[in-house]
Amino acid sequence: MAATTEAFTLKSETPRRKRRDLIPWMFVAPCIIIILLVTIFPTVYSLGLSLTKWEIGLQERPFIGLGNYIELFSTARFWHALLITLLVVVIGVSIEFLLGFGLAQTLSGQMKGKRIVVAALLLPVMVMPVVVGYTWRLLWDAQYGPINQIIGWIIGQPFTYTWLAKTETALLAILVTEIWQWTPFMFLVFLSGLAVLDPEIFEAADIDGASGWAKLWYITLPLMRPIIVVALLIRGLDALKFFDIIFTLTGGGPGNSTETLSFYIYQMGYQFFRLGYGAAASFVLLVFLAMFLTYLLKAFKSAVGS
Amino acid sequence: MSTRMFKIFSVLLAVTMLLGLTMPVAYAQGPCQGSSSQCAVEAAKQFAGTTINYVREAGLQAQDPLTMAPIWEELTGIKVNVIELAYLDMYTKPLQDHLTGGGAYDAIDLSPMWMQDYVNAGALEPLDPYIEKYMNPADMEDFLPVYRSEGVMKIKGVTYGLYDDGDVFILYYRKDLFEDETNKAEFKAKYGYELAPPETEQQMYDAAEFFTNKYAPELYGLAIQRLEGQAYSWFVGPFSGRGGQFFDENMKATINSEIGVQLLTDMVKQNKVMPPGVEKWGFMEVLSAWMDGKVAMIVTWPPIGRWSAGYGDTAKQLAWVPASKVVGKVGYMPQPGGRPTLAGGFNMCISASSNNKEAAYLFIQWMTSPDISLQRVMLPFALRDPYRLSHFNSPLYRSAWPEAGEYLDTLKKAGMAGQYELGIPGAREYMEAVDNALTAAYAGKDPKEALDEAAAKWDAITERLGVENQKKAYEQWLKNPWNRLGPKVELPAE
Repeated sequence: MAATTEAFTLKSETPRRKRRDLIPWMFVAPCIIIILLVTIFPTVYSLGLSLTKWEIGLQERPFIGLGNYIELFSTARFWHALLITLLVVVIGVSIEFLLGFGLAQTLSGQMKGKRIVVAALLLPVMVMPVVVGYTWRLLWDAQYGPINQIIGWIIGQPFTYTWLAKTETALLAILVTEIWQWTPFMFLVFLSGLAVLDPEIFEAADIDGASGWAKLWYITLPLMRPIIVVALLIRGLDALKFFDIIFTLTGGGPGNSTETLSFYIYQMGYQFFRLGYGAAASFVLLVFLAMFLTYLLKAFKSAVGS
Repeated sequence: MSTRMFKIFSVLLAVTMLLGLTMPVAYAQGPCQGSSSQCAVEAAKQFAGTTINYVREAGLQAQDPLTMAPIWEELTGIKVNVIELAYLDMYTKPLQDHLTGGGAYDAIDLSPMWMQDYVNAGALEPLDPYIEKYMNPADMEDFLPVYRSEGVMKIKGVTYGLYDDGDVFILYYRKDLFEDETNKAEFKAKYGYELAPPETEQQMYDAAEFFTNKYAPELYGLAIQRLEGQAYSWFVGPFSGRGGQFFDENMKATINSEIGVQLLTDMVKQNKVMPPGVEKWGFMEVLSAWMDGKVAMIVTWPPIGRWSAGYGDTAKQLAWVPASKVVGKVGYMPQPGGRPTLAGGFNMCISASSNNKEAAYLFIQWMTSPDISLQRVMLPFALRDPYRLSHFNSPLYRSAWPEAGEYLDTLKKAGMAGQYELGIPGAREYMEAVDNALTAAYAGKDPKEALDEAAAKWDAITERLGVENQKKAYEQWLKNPWNRLGPKVELPAE
């Protein structure tokens, strides 16, 4: 009898336990399905697409294996776009970092009117990149742009240089615009990071007679390392996908001189409907992003660990 | 009246009334003998309650269908939802929609240069069955021949679009400056010939140089749109006029021929007599400078002619257009060089993915019919330009402002001498390569080097899309006399 009761209990508990085990899965199932549908499926689909020759001008979509990747790596325009992207990441983000950190250091203490200054400094980052692009296009205008106007006042004669239409200066103009917009982001992150640093450490350093430079180099920077890595990570990833300002300021020109990887992919995929080739280029960008992310995450871990 | 006569009269009256009642049905079911617009309206009534999505270029372009759609809805009960897209998105979005099986668009506006790509993708509905069923055949003949030709409305003899925009470049010049006696004397002394509205590119350059040297910075001799994106349009016509060819018999690109290089060199030189920063000037910059009286000549699309004459300048849709300071001072010439570029233009087409093809077709037939399209090309704010013989000959249009007749004659002459932009598969990509070459040369690159690069890109595109396929498409495209390059349009003997 006892054995029968035990068996009955086991029997009735097993399905219940199973059901209980399933409940967490049921809760996360919608999320998993959505992720599968909107992330995993398109990624796998576009990977398949990158192995085909799908073009608007062709009736068929043959499988060509790595053909698109081979073409991509043998195209000078692609390498040029990659170079421009890296220049924007390295030069643009570095300057944003230096300026943002410098401003944050300057404004981290108590000062009169700090709120207004901080609010004003944050304005560019709140503006849509497309609006920033069009606004700066007017600022860089050869005939009516304030930049040329001011230079004209300084040198005492009309100055009508066409910044955006000259290969030598188009990228410079883009970098200045990009830095103007995103330095406030760095500044904000660093300002909040500096605000939570323990003041006692600096007081102790003062008592020990540490110079301002020594405090910055040996205390502030090491303590800020995790925050710096996160800021660089966010901005770096964003800069690798840099598109909007290029689109509005130069359209990748003159010629293809300011084309970034994102802009190149947009041209190939959405302007010329080279869908297979565009997908291959997107995957290459994805690999770069993944490498960059992995490197910075490692740096982040070591920063947090130290 | 005798009883017998009364009976006969009653029967005749009844027959007449019956005929009157059934006439619209007859329009709808057989070839249209009357007005194509009326035939479209009557036939469309069976689709009352339907909504059709119509793609139109955003901004001012869309004001025309936004004005006409309520009238169409009132007449037929069919609602038209106007979807506004940026010009280059008009190529990409409907194609994306078709490739993904969306069916979001019913009627779409397409530039002739995009037609082959769309037809190859199976994205367009052939219109011939609808035309046969609903259109008065005489109205097809009313399209100016250049606009109803192969490669424009038709691809390989099949009609895929109804032409709706007579876009062609003409030269606008300041009559007051050209007719000024001092200017005439000074010009003749310097250049050795009479100052006159230019017919050749050299004359245009000389006049531009003369006015710039004399009046800058208050006024410059010439302004031409140089902004990346559509800069190539100003290359195509002169390239053809000078005898340039896009490809040789083996389908190798020849845009970097001596003719091409010399033309680009001249175009770079032209920038020096244009306002500073012209390399970044788009449509709006040219328009503003012209309307403000800051340039002596511009080469651009037809609407500027209407606006500079002050035609309909009180329309609220034109509030953004600078007030014209050149009213009564404007003369018109076809774009110098012999082959004005037929730049852009639009066909109204039906998407193959549409669920409302017939209703959408009837809408575009109504919009492009002679009487309705005349109203549309005369809307002060419209960007649709005359394209039917009846438009050019319309007494109403010809009296719209004092120089309107001269304007219409110039548009017709320029259109009939025009040169279409390349319209084979991959056209956007080919033209973008030329665009890159132009902007690179404007930025200082050697014109030959820039065009060599463009030609290499062209060969790569051709190779990729299949040399034989492209050759066939190009040969087909060249069947249209206005696609064939050369100093003059060679029309086939009647």
